[in-house]
Amino acid sequence: MPSVLSTLMLLSVLLPAVGNAREVRVEVRDPKGEPVADAVASLTPLDATPVVQPPAEPVSVVQEGEEFRPHVTAVVVGTRVTFPNRDAVQHHVFSVSRSKKFDLPLYRGEPREPVLFDQPGVVSLGCNIHDWMSAYIVVLATPHFARSGTDGAAVIGGIPPGRHRLEVWHPRARSALTREVIVAEVGAATQVIALTLGVDRRVRRAPESAGGGYK
Amino acid sequence: MKLPLRSFRGQLLLVFVPVLALAQLATWYLVGRFNEREARQQIDTSLQQAAQTFRRVVADRNAHLRTGARSAARDHQIRQLVAGDDPATLASALQSLRGTTDSSVVAILEPGGKVVASAGRGAPESALPTRLIALAEADESERPSAAGYGYFDGVLHSVVLVPVQAGSEVIAWLLIGFRIDREFAADLKLLTGSDLLFLGADGAALAGTLAVSAHAPLASVLQATRGHSALRQITIDGGASLAVFRPLLTGREPVATLALVYSLDEKLAPARLAGRYLAVVAIGALVAAAALALAFARGLARPVERLAAHTERISAGDYAARVPVDRADELGRLAGAMNAMSAGLAERDRVRDLLDKNVSPEVAARLMRGGAALGGEEREVTILFADLRGFTTLSERLDPPALLALLNRYLDRMSGAIEAHGGVIDKFIGDAIMALFGAPVAQGDAPARAIAAARAMESALAALNTELAAEDRPPLAIGVGINTARVVAGNIGSNRRLNYSVIGDGVNVAARLQALTRAAEHRTNIILSAATRAAAGRAAADARPLGTVTVKGRTEPVEIFAIDAPLSFHDHRTSPHTEPPFLSP
Repeated sequence: MPSVLSTLMLLSVLLPAVGNAREVRVEVRDPKGEPVADAVASLTPLDATPVVQPPAEPVSVVQEGEEFRPHVTAVVVGTRVTFPNRDAVQHHVFSVSRSKKFDLPLYRGEPREPVLFDQPGVVSLGCNIHDWMSAYIVVLATPHFARSGTDGAAVIGGIPPGRHRLEVWHPRARSALTREVIVAEVGAATQVIALTLGVDRRVRRAPESAGGGYK
Repeated sequence: MKLPLRSFRGQLLLVFVPVLALAQLATWYLVGRFNEREARQQIDTSLQQAAQTFRRVVADRNAHLRTGARSAARDHQIRQLVAGDDPATLASALQSLRGTTDSSVVAILEPGGKVVASAGRGAPESALPTRLIALAEADESERPSAAGYGYFDGVLHSVVLVPVQAGSEVIAWLLIGFRIDREFAADLKLLTGSDLLFLGADGAALAGTLAVSAHAPLASVLQATRGHSALRQITIDGGASLAVFRPLLTGREPVATLALVYSLDEKLAPARLAGRYLAVVAIGALVAAAALALAFARGLARPVERLAAHTERISAGDYAARVPVDRADELGRLAGAMNAMSAGLAERDRVRDLLDKNVSPEVAARLMRGGAALGGEEREVTILFADLRGFTTLSERLDPPALLALLNRYLDRMSGAIEAHGGVIDKFIGDAIMALFGAPVAQGDAPARAIAAARAMESALAALNTELAAEDRPPLAIGVGINTARVVAGNIGSNRRLNYSVIGDGVNVAARLQALTRAAEHRTNIILSAATRAAAGRAAADARPLGTVTVKGRTEPVEIFAIDAPLSFHDHRTSPHTEPPFLSP
């Protein structure tokens, strides 16, 4: 389904300003109009170099109930992320992604060191012993970003006016959707983004009782 | 042995043998056709099953490889090598995977399809990775994978593709496969019993169990049957075989063709052997049937011919012959019936003969014709009575056999004379004869005939007397009375025994007239009544009136006449050897 994965249907409407702050509201929908959660929308100024200030404290991506939480985390370049294990069993968190490869061999509780994400890009996380565990860390070179909630809306505020590149990424979209938008001096704009999502490749947890029966 | 077609044997053979031959030929043909159809069906079933077995074997081996590949794909070191930058180490790791999974080829593909590293036989054909990845990506199942066929270094392989994932991201694809070669084909032949050949997309033979000579015919039939999976007949080395073709697909792309072949000749061999036995049995049965038919026909024809010959003898009048009854069947019954018929005919003949002897031929004929019914009719009849004179004296002189011989000799001559003139002997009364003219068959000139008969009797007696004289015996003399009267004629007697005769006054008169010839004064041997003379016309022209007499039992006097001389014969009275014809009473 490469064609489906690569297709990003785009229904863009620049609406007149409704609020007072300079913000962009991005509404992410699938082709059926259903809201899409866990999409990361970011705005990168085209006429200025954005200044990113990583947070002082590390961001947490926890393992609980043998799942990562949250599934998608967006951070700026230079952010440190820690992976506390709240389960009774050990986990082996790793990434083989180009922008950040790391390996946290089997551990309990808090790992010794947080992991520094110093390159922009998408980092796919996995647990070496639990195939179904999956998470993403989207490392951005811009401070203007938001993650869509269950209503599909990602609201990006405090944006300097001018031309920006809007990028919308989702784990199940093959590549990020990119679009140029102009942010006005005053007011808010709403971007409605339709994403066609590919198959969810998250490995499902095998039920405890089920064995590898003859198939 | 000559077999005329019109003989029973010939006809039996002509009917029986062709029918049997035809039936056997039809049986032979039908059994042959049935066997061939059955063989084709069995081969069809075998080949379909072989095709299914092939699919199952491939699916099983694919499943094993898929499991091994999945295990390898989730191995952390492999994952790190895949994500890393060390294709040589990855390739060596794949080589080791190839060993543990017992596969022929293993390769790692980038998500886009480019080969990162591989182990085994060279690189896959260029179209294979993208085809398989497209298939795997279209697989929406929990654990996506793809399977198909492809060429590595020109060698056909069955291949499986599984993803290498980090979390939910597919970071690469692992391709694994086994070679479809002669060894695999040989294994499959052991399993299915069918020969097989794998052909490339261009129709070239790849691997199989068949000899090279089979490759070209299979390829040309495949060319002609593209897209059809029906059973096809092909000729390999002059022998007939049946084949089915199954395309080997990757997705919808035909990559190669599996040809499954089964020799029809081999399958039909036992049936053909049975057919040959059947033919031998059939010919034997035909010969036996012909021999039996001939024997049966002969058994039937011989008695029939014997019966036919017997019938011919019977029709020739030989009733004494008997045909032997030596069978219990219908022919035996026929022979028995024929013998009974011969006996019946002989009996009838004897009866007829006796009848002829006992009654006059005319009466006998009438009896035979009309039956012996009692009854009667009144008709005019001329009655002749003849009596041997001096018989009493004669009987004293001769012994009984001689007497009877003489009497019969006399009666025979007299009868001859009477019958020669159309008279009918009514009866013999001792030495006397009663004869009728005009009964039972009416005669217009009965009186004339009676007179002529009387004259002839005289002549015959003269001749007899000449013979008797030569034998030194005394001569005989007769008296004849003739009367013509209306009498009652018919069969007279009881139901069991009948005589055709006449009764009436006229009969008595004739007897009395005969008695009158003994009267010497009449000087005649033959006396007629007036009625006879009148009715005889010219035949009685020479009748000499004797006057009237009173006949006993009759009141009226009767006029009588004498016939003196034979009308045309010699005058026996002048014969020197003959005594006067009158004897004194």
